[in-house]
Amino acid sequence: MSTVEAATAAVKRRHVDGRGLIGLLLVAAPVTLIGALILWPVSVSVFDTLTVRGPDGRHFSLESYRFFFSDGFSLRNLWLTIQVAAICTVLLLVISLPIALYLRFSETRLAGYIQALALFPLFVPSILLAYALIRTLGPNGTVDILLTAVGLPKIPSPYLTPWGPIIGLVWDNLPLTLLIILAGLSNVSRASIDAARDVGAGSFAVLWYIVLPRIRGTLLVAASFIILGLFSAFTLPYLLGPAVPEMMGPFMRRTIIEVDDPLQARTQAVVTFMICALFAMFYVRSVARTRREQSS
Amino acid sequence: MAELEIRNLSRVFGATRAVNDVSISVAHGELLCLLGPSGSGKSTVLRMLGGFERPDSGSILIDGKDVTNLPPERRPTGMVFQSHALWSHMDVFSNVAFGLKLRRLPRQDIRQRTEAALDMVGLAGFGPRRPTKLSGGQQQRVALARSLVLEPKILLLDEPFASLDQHLRERMREEVREIQQRAGITMVFVTHGQDEALALADRIAVMRDGRLEQVDKPDAVYRRPRTAFVAGFIGQMNLIDGEVRAGSLNAAGVTVAVALADGPATLAMRPEDIGLQRASGADAATVHRVIDFGTHLSVELQASGGTRLKATAQPGSGWTAGMQAHLHPRKFAVYRDGTLCGLPLAPGRADLPLSLQSLVTDQAPASRDHLASNHS
Repeated sequence: MSTVEAATAAVKRRHVDGRGLIGLLLVAAPVTLIGALILWPVSVSVFDTLTVRGPDGRHFSLESYRFFFSDGFSLRNLWLTIQVAAICTVLLLVISLPIALYLRFSETRLAGYIQALALFPLFVPSILLAYALIRTLGPNGTVDILLTAVGLPKIPSPYLTPWGPIIGLVWDNLPLTLLIILAGLSNVSRASIDAARDVGAGSFAVLWYIVLPRIRGTLLVAASFIILGLFSAFTLPYLLGPAVPEMMGPFMRRTIIEVDDPLQARTQAVVTFMICALFAMFYVRSVARTRREQSS
Repeated sequence: MAELEIRNLSRVFGATRAVNDVSISVAHGELLCLLGPSGSGKSTVLRMLGGFERPDSGSILIDGKDVTNLPPERRPTGMVFQSHALWSHMDVFSNVAFGLKLRRLPRQDIRQRTEAALDMVGLAGFGPRRPTKLSGGQQQRVALARSLVLEPKILLLDEPFASLDQHLRERMREEVREIQQRAGITMVFVTHGQDEALALADRIAVMRDGRLEQVDKPDAVYRRPRTAFVAGFIGQMNLIDGEVRAGSLNAAGVTVAVALADGPATLAMRPEDIGLQRASGADAATVHRVIDFGTHLSVELQASGGTRLKATAQPGSGWTAGMQAHLHPRKFAVYRDGTLCGLPLAPGRADLPLSLQSLVTDQAPASRDHLASNHS
């Protein structure tokens, strides 16, 4: 190798090394944040829930989990959270899909207004939404006043029942679900719909055989996001939901602040985290499969 | 096979009249090409034929039956889309068989007809493959098979070869023509490629701004364009603005005798219809550029007044940039207000050199008759 070639190679190597260092510096901040704010506390919590301090130091124990899974109150709270999450997910998908289909394939000006209306909750803080729902659907709220005014009986208020947080969470999560499904529908071309209609498919056949299989991954992603969000929801279940049983968010808060039992609160958090991790796995698998399909 | 009749079809999008009072009849087993530039309304006409757009006025009849308000799934038409529009989550077999499955045909019947359709388009054995694993030409053939398998009365093709390369496009149009003739199917084919239209069509309908400019056989559209737009759109054409005075049209130094009243007119000459004669002087055109295409030379000239035009010459005829030439039209047409209104006088004109007079006899009598009929 000549001197010039060796010098050029050295300069190139320095360039590559420099780029690698810049890359590492760029990812260092987010990785540090994730490590410090998520991974470390999670690890500490998991470690704490799996150990007990005895006279001869810490040793492994499943006692906190045994308590959680044998305590009827904790299980009722977990079950309520799962039920609310499942009902909200189904409702959100059932409500968002037709709106998204309309927005994707409609060319009228009305579609713009509907989109703005559907995305409006994105800009409303949860606490405002909660009080708005209490004023509207709560006892002696707007709905009751209107019903009384026209001589109709009052409806049972969803406020402080499991339906309170369900209504609030559906309203709150509608924009995100809609945006995810709309993004998925952008991959379904109008021509592919027209082609299906051309060979004789009616609206239901188009939806069932063409649209849904094409956005299956997107729906799974949307469902995963909704469930992850619902398990960690606090404001709406706390303000709109019943005191007993209650969803995991308010339950954890009460356990640590009012009951002053950090170990049980951590156990509740780890159980919630494990359920969320399960859905996160669905999400990761779905993304991986979509990428595989796109590259094949 | 079926007969298609379009009566006074119109479609308006906002302030734009996309299709304006279009009427055409397509005979049994005929292949009609809708040809025009982008935005001329040809695709809108096709989408209305397929039921994907509802016309604002007019009607569409297939074998005498009014289908104007029928949705696509209830029309006896099949459509091949520009983007192929294959369903990537299904394999090739399922794509083709989908329409048959919707009709709840017996499984054996579906298999036989699907395999026959794939065989017809030369894709036998491709059933288990995913559309994404096929080439552009193969995908287009799957789209064709998907329509053909349902035996539509009329097949509609919306620029189906637009995304294919030139070589594949030429091969595909031959295959489509062969399939159309073999199946004896009535076809309406939309394209903005004049070569495609000339090569495929039994008749060409040239569209512009939502209106039909001319509906005729390919040779008639090429040789006897009825409007200056058609003349300029089909093939290469020199359209030169000039002035008629006392029976002579002078345009960019070229003078031809015409039976027209005095006033402005446009002289139309195809490059292959211009004879070049070496000359010198202020009235001669200057050769600006010469491109050798092997089969012929394309000679770009700058006539007096700065008008640019093209002529063709034999290879080896010695034309080079900077030379001067007189232009002698062997064939021409004259347009006034965009409409054909003039034709050349009889051959053997005294103002042409002897060497060029024989070339004027190329003017077909039929062509002159046609032009004469349009003269009024």
